[in-house]
Amino acid sequence: MARMKFLCDAERCIECNSCVTACKNEHEVPWGVNRRRVVTLNDGVPGEKSISVACMHCTDAPCAAVCPVDCFYTTDDGIVLHDKDLCIGCGYCFYACPFGAPQYPQQAAFGVRGKMDKCTFCAGGPLQDNSNVEYEKYGRNRIAEGKLPLCAEMCSTKALLAGDGDMIADIYRQRVLKRGGRPQTWGWESAYGTTG
Amino acid sequence: MTRLLSLFTGVSLAFIVSGCYESPSVTSYEPGVYKGAKDPLMQANKDQRAETMKKRFEMVQTDR
Repeated sequence: MARMKFLCDAERCIECNSCVTACKNEHEVPWGVNRRRVVTLNDGVPGEKSISVACMHCTDAPCAAVCPVDCFYTTDDGIVLHDKDLCIGCGYCFYACPFGAPQYPQQAAFGVRGKMDKCTFCAGGPLQDNSNVEYEKYGRNRIAEGKLPLCAEMCSTKALLAGDGDMIADIYRQRVLKRGGRPQTWGWESAYGTTG
Repeated sequence: MTRLLSLFTGVSLAFIVSGCYESPSVTSYEPGVYKGAKDPLMQANKDQRAETMKKRFEMVQTDR
């Protein structure tokens, strides 16, 4: 079984934010919630680097480890998802996540948090695939349609890759061999450990 | 009148006290185990999905 992973090639990312736009549009993500963000290091300085960040669907997900209501589960292909009917919006997962992935919509006055929302790898949630309820709660289920996450499919420079970890690693290895330098698989060690 | 009042008090007390009992059924809680609904995606054919994903990856994710 394939192990789904994200990889952002910092040498290729041009900070166009099309991944962010594609994600927000595909899943109708509400205002104030960003499932994906582009972070630029040393912005404005020659040699600046940009990386597209979202939930990395960690092998040993810290969000799941700290969840007091155990609303997280991992699919057979390594996608970390959660049940919004169980989530109490406590925010523990936000503090545990090394990528700042969990987001909370403001649903009432005085900053009361709603149910946690995060990148689903376009795999929806624990509801009937591609039903209206699933779409409203989790966004579109592209995986059930046989498609990959839209952020990666839309990436114009193919900086953001999503799919089977082995296939991504092959592509990235070829790139590094071609252009030289050292591989910088940003976030992979935090998300997938050394063994993956 | 006094008998009626004491009877009423007795019945009321019995009714109130009937709410004070300990349920023998205990809700067991396994920490760290997913408690939510089952995902239909997990019941789908894994191998078929993996093959579809591979084809899709080769179509849209390879270098230009």
